[in-house]
Amino acid sequence: MAIEQKAGSTFNIPLGPVHVALEEPVYFDLQVEGEIIRGTTLHSGHVHRGMENLAQHRNLIMNQTLTERVCSLCSNSHAFTYAMVVENALGIKVPERAHYLRTLTEEIKRVASHLFTLAIQAHLCGFESLFMHTMEIREIMQDVKESLYGNRMNLAFNCIGGTKFDLDQECFDFLEQSLEKFMPQFREVLDIFETDPLICARIQGTGILPKEEAIRLGVVGPVARGSGLNIDVRKETPYAAYGKVDFDIVTRDGCDLYARTCVRLHEVLESVKIIKQVIRDIPEGETRVHMTHIFPSQAVARSEAPRGEVIYYIRTNSTEIPERLKWRVPSYMNWEALGVMLRNAKVADAALITNTIDPCVSCTER
Amino acid sequence: MATFLNTLLQNIISGPATDPFPFGETFSPKRVRGLIRIDRDLCLGCGMCRHVCAAGAINIQRNSLGWTITIWQDSCCLCRSCVTYCPMHAMSIDPNWHSAHVEEDKYKRIEQHTISYQPCARCGTPMRVMSLERAKELYAADPDIDPEEIRHLCRSCRQIRDAEQSTVCMLRSDISTAPAAEKS
Repeated sequence: MAIEQKAGSTFNIPLGPVHVALEEPVYFDLQVEGEIIRGTTLHSGHVHRGMENLAQHRNLIMNQTLTERVCSLCSNSHAFTYAMVVENALGIKVPERAHYLRTLTEEIKRVASHLFTLAIQAHLCGFESLFMHTMEIREIMQDVKESLYGNRMNLAFNCIGGTKFDLDQECFDFLEQSLEKFMPQFREVLDIFETDPLICARIQGTGILPKEEAIRLGVVGPVARGSGLNIDVRKETPYAAYGKVDFDIVTRDGCDLYARTCVRLHEVLESVKIIKQVIRDIPEGETRVHMTHIFPSQAVARSEAPRGEVIYYIRTNSTEIPERLKWRVPSYMNWEALGVMLRNAKVADAALITNTIDPCVSCTER
Repeated sequence: MATFLNTLLQNIISGPATDPFPFGETFSPKRVRGLIRIDRDLCLGCGMCRHVCAAGAINIQRNSLGWTITIWQDSCCLCRSCVTYCPMHAMSIDPNWHSAHVEEDKYKRIEQHTISYQPCARCGTPMRVMSLERAKELYAADPDIDPEEIRHLCRSCRQIRDAEQSTVCMLRSDISTAPAAEKS
C-alpha cells in the first residue's frame, strides 16, 4: 500500500482483525501521520461466545469446565477463581493440601504463559531462533503439565471444594527434575532477553506507559508492574497458599517494553521459587471436600492470573444453576493502555506493542 | 550476541529437540488423559456422570431391562469431572492418546455398555447389584451388615434389612419403604 506523505495529513490504516500479535482477533483503526501513529481506535467483539449466558444455563460443576475454556493460556486462573468464588458463596472450607496444590498449578501455568509471551515477543522482533529456543524451554513446563495433570493446556485440576485428584511423590520428583533441567536453560534465555543488543535496540524506549497513565487507566499485572506500580493480588489479599510462601513482587520503573519484559522474566524466577517452596512444605491430607448444599448467596473472588487480576462474581439461588456469573479479566483493563502506548509509536511497532500487554482477546470478549 | 551464538552452537551439537514420532518413540506420560473408560461391573447407572458432563458426551438410556451408558469420545473434553464425581469409582482414564481417526469413524469412537437389572433377592424387583468392594466400603462402619447379602437387595429392602440388623434402630417417618419410582 503506497501512502503518500504530506506534512500535517493523516491516514487511517486498518490493523487486524486477524493475527495482530497472537492468533487472536482484534481490530485497530490506526490514525497515522507518515510512519507515526497519532491515534488508535480499538474494535472488538470478534470472538464473543456468550459465555456469561452459557454459564447461567449450566450447573455449578459444568461451569467449572466452561470457565476453564474462557482463555487458553490462563485457563487455570479462571477455573481456580471460579472454584474460589463458589467456595466463598457457599462457605466451603478447602483442605490445606488443596490450597498448596492449587498454588503449585497456578505457578506452573504462569511460567508457561510468561515464556509463551516472551517467545512471541522474540518472534515479533524478528528473532526467530530465540522464539524457537524459548518455546523449546517452555516445552519442559508443558511436559510437566502433561505428566502431572494429564493435559497440556486445560489442566482441569480445580474443582469446587479442592482439586479433582491428588499428586503423588512421583509427580513431585518429576517436577523437581524438570526444574533442574529448566533453570540453567532459562537463565541463559533471561540473559539473552535482557542484554542482547538486537532485542534491546528494538524494545527499549518503545511502548511507553507512564506511571500516572498506568494509575489513571487502572492497568493490572505485569503491565502495571512494568510502570513501577507495586500491585499483586497474591500479596494484597493472599489466597490459596500464597500467604505461606515467600516471594517478591517484581517491579520495574522503565515504563517501556523492556521493563515489562524484565518483569515477566523475573516473575518466572519468583514462580520457580514458589514451586520449590510448595514441594517442600506441602502438607498431607485430603484434597477435596464435598459441596453439601446450595443456598441463595453472592460472592466475589479475585486472583492474580499471568496477565493480572481476575475478578469473579457469582449470585446463586436455591438451584444448582447460578443466577449470575460475571468475571472481569486483566486484558480488559490493559488494552485501554494500548491507546497510550501506541500514540507516537511507529506503525512497525504496533504488533510488538500489542503483544506487550499479553492480550487475551477471547477472555475479554468471552 | 556472543551468548546467543553460543546457544545456537549448542543447539547444533545437541541435534533436534523434537521426538522422531511417528517413526520412533515419543514422550508419553503415565497420567496423560487419552480416553474415558467405564467399568461395567461398578456402574450403578445413577447418572451422576451425565449430570456433571459439561460437554454432553455421556448419555444413559433406560428401559425396563436395564440401561445403556454411552460416551462419545469425540465430544469428551477430558475434564475428568465424571471420574471425580462418580460415587462408584466406575469411570477411569485410559492413557492411550492415539486418537487420530478417519472422518467416517467419528461416530464409532464410543464407549458403550448395556447393563441389565437383576431381581432383588427379597422382593424380586428389578435392580442393580452393587459391587462387593463398594458394599464393603459403604458398610464398613456397620459390622452387623453382611455386604454380600445387602448388595443383592433393592433400595427398599436394603433399608428394611439395615433397620432389622442394626443394633441402634431409629424410627424415621421420612424413610419411604414403598419401591422407588424408576427415574427416566
